Amino acid sequence: MTKRKTFLTNLLIFLSILGPGIITGSVDNDAGGITTYSVAGATYGYKLLWTLIPSFIVLIVIQEMNARMGVVTGKGLADLIRENFGVRVTFFIFLGLLIADIGNTATEFAGVAGSMEIFGISKYIMVPLAALAVWFLIVKGNYTVAEKVFLIFSVFLLSYVISALLSHPDWKAVGQSIIKPTMSFNTDYLSMVIGIVGTTIAPWMQFYMQSSVIEKGIKIDDYKYTIWDVVIGCIATVVVAFFIIVACASTLNVNGIKINEAKDAAMALKPLAGELASGVFAFGLFIASIFSAAILPVATAFYICEAFGFEAGIDKRLDEAPEFYTLFTAIIIIAVAIILIPHAPLITITIWTQVLNGILLPVVLISMMLLVNNKEIMGKYVNNPLKNVIGWSTTIILIGLTAVLMFFSFA
Amino acid sequence: MPILSLYLSRILGNKILLKNGEVLGKLKDIGVSTELTHPIAISMLVKTKSGVKEYKWENIKITKKFGQYELMCTEPIEANGIKDVLYLSKNVLDKQIIDVNGRKVVRVNDIRLALLDKGLFAIAVDIGVEGILRRLGLAKPLKRILKRFGKTISSKFILWEDIETITRARENIMLSKTYHKLATLHPSDLADIIEDLDFKAGIDIFSSLEHGRAADVLEEMETDTQRSILNELPVSKAADILEEMPADEVADILDDLNEEKVEELLNEMENNASLEVRELMEYPEYAVGSLMTTDFVAFENTLSVEEAIKELRLLKPDEDIIYYIYIVDESNRLLGAVTLRDLVISEPNTLLNEIMNKDIIYTRDMDSIKSLIKTVTKYNLVAIPVVDEDMKLLGTVLINDIIYELMRSGKTYARR
Repeated sequence: MTKRKTFLTNLLIFLSILGPGIITGSVDNDAGGITTYSVAGATYGYKLLWTLIPSFIVLIVIQEMNARMGVVTGKGLADLIRENFGVRVTFFIFLGLLIADIGNTATEFAGVAGSMEIFGISKYIMVPLAALAVWFLIVKGNYTVAEKVFLIFSVFLLSYVISALLSHPDWKAVGQSIIKPTMSFNTDYLSMVIGIVGTTIAPWMQFYMQSSVIEKGIKIDDYKYTIWDVVIGCIATVVVAFFIIVACASTLNVNGIKINEAKDAAMALKPLAGELASGVFAFGLFIASIFSAAILPVATAFYICEAFGFEAGIDKRLDEAPEFYTLFTAIIIIAVAIILIPHAPLITITIWTQVLNGILLPVVLISMMLLVNNKEIMGKYVNNPLKNVIGWSTTIILIGLTAVLMFFSFA
Repeated sequence: MPILSLYLSRILGNKILLKNGEVLGKLKDIGVSTELTHPIAISMLVKTKSGVKEYKWENIKITKKFGQYELMCTEPIEANGIKDVLYLSKNVLDKQIIDVNGRKVVRVNDIRLALLDKGLFAIAVDIGVEGILRRLGLAKPLKRILKRFGKTISSKFILWEDIETITRARENIMLSKTYHKLATLHPSDLADIIEDLDFKAGIDIFSSLEHGRAADVLEEMETDTQRSILNELPVSKAADILEEMPADEVADILDDLNEEKVEELLNEMENNASLEVRELMEYPEYAVGSLMTTDFVAFENTLSVEEAIKELRLLKPDEDIIYYIYIVDESNRLLGAVTLRDLVISEPNTLLNEIMNKDIIYTRDMDSIKSLIKTVTKYNLVAIPVVDEDMKLLGTVLINDIIYELMRSGKTYARR
């Protein structure tokens, strides 16, 4: 028998490792992301498509480090931060993360509410139902089941491609905007650019990515396949973002329609691109929202418990892991409550959530860079000089952009 | 000197004064001996102006002044690379450890020390919320507020003798008496613990077990963990462990690995062991053959009771397979069965032929598991023999394995 790996065995190994990168990439296009892309497309047309290229690079660099740390150490980012930076840093990161993630989860349920409005279903029915569904998927399912559901969700996100094609985009203009990027130096334009790049990197995602690599039990020999998982996940993120911008640009921008929310985009598509395009767009929003609404609360509860040594895990009973279940359920309940309160200040909540994400991001990114360069933790898998240059400049640029964005949102 | 009980977090970072009032540096870490159940402080790391230095934990005085601890070192003795040291902050604080009595993995929030005449001892780890709050500097004010409402913050301690620290081999510490406290745990508990740890630490612990015990623990693990452990271990070691397991369990585990790995492992295993496994793996998933174990007791019908009992004493079979003894003819065809009770109560020179139950219920290797379950429940069997088309005895299915199978795929059977 020959020991050489054939193309087929390579493919099989790759398929078995596929998952974490793609799912993280898809969660990335959550309700908040779709809103950002829709507004960008409606306001600036195809002009902002070029921003997806830096977004793509940033994503790959950061997620590759996460995956590598997970594979090499077998520990989650939360564990590594706690073990190397002590309880104080950990406490403040996770307090921030908890509050931000309640806000993030609320945004996701807002996405569920908005997308269902398009189909004429009241949010007072749909949001509690969605919350229950999410609760059961997480509590009753295991990682394998959840991952399969999530992978199917990821495929559904391609509905944005359909919706974009149905809106007959001007492909020449699309191509031009990517090849010849234009820059305007007014605050609105700049904050939109920063918004697009910034929405691709959320603090909690770093924790999620690393944990799911570990949950899959990927070892260092398979690392080369994991890279491809990361790359494909990043491509998926950018492709979906691309088509959302295109769909909104080719219909709303051309007709001069301004929007504030992702659901506005779906609504506005109806007379311009037809009922089908509008429905498909709304469906994509629904899937994306519920997808992230499922992952966010459980992930948050998990990291917090891991960092502080509480029992955690969806295979544990309620009395075995009370802190975990309390946190998980509380995040969902608070998020749902925020959405269901009539006249809740949703926009204020969204802004403050983003501010908090912005404060957390530098802390998380710098922690990551320090950890990934620590020889005691990473052994020979520390960043090489090239990766360090890219990693630190990405970190500094992201921190800079976030600082600017926060400045704008208060100016 | 009075007994003083204090927390590690309250003295880490404190200045160490010299006799003349000068400052030696800041206490960075305390190293304790590794061989005792009550580890005594033997060294310390001090952050001095010229970098971090290692000193012996000698000539140190700890006193409490205005609620703060003051450290004084009358005569510092520099040391380099003291052997068999466990550094409390580097290796224990904030890390995962195993609570041997509670049989779970916990995280260390603080360490409780006791200052006695003989020296400074680590006596317990704090895993409670109070430990976290203390390190955040919030414990005292919070306690004061809660006191007004008549409430307290719960603190949780584990005595040092009840914990097992997890340190890596490459940190060149004490791996000689590795994880001896874990030896007392049930394999099933140990499997849970290994699953709760990050897999590197899990592998470390698993590798330190002797083969027989490792096999028991591996048997109790979830499929995913089994797979990643077998992938991670060196092939020769994995094969040695698999040889210690019943063939049907091995076949189950190997079913989930990729073919190349399976072939590697089977080639490494001893021939007769791997042959059995190979045969079991041939069976399709739905067939009884895939569930049966090839460990069973069978005697020829011409044996006497006395000879049979003598034989059993030599074989020393496990308790779950000794209960039913199968009777076969010279070409291994199943004729009947006797129970252990039958053997014990019969006269020594009776032939097995005379006392065996000929109306034995059996199943064929290619029957479906579904029909097997029906038969077993209908006749309230504890075990059932498995034969091929020629009535040759191949193995037996124990009720234990059936229950496990049902639990694993409960939904599948309900749907069929």
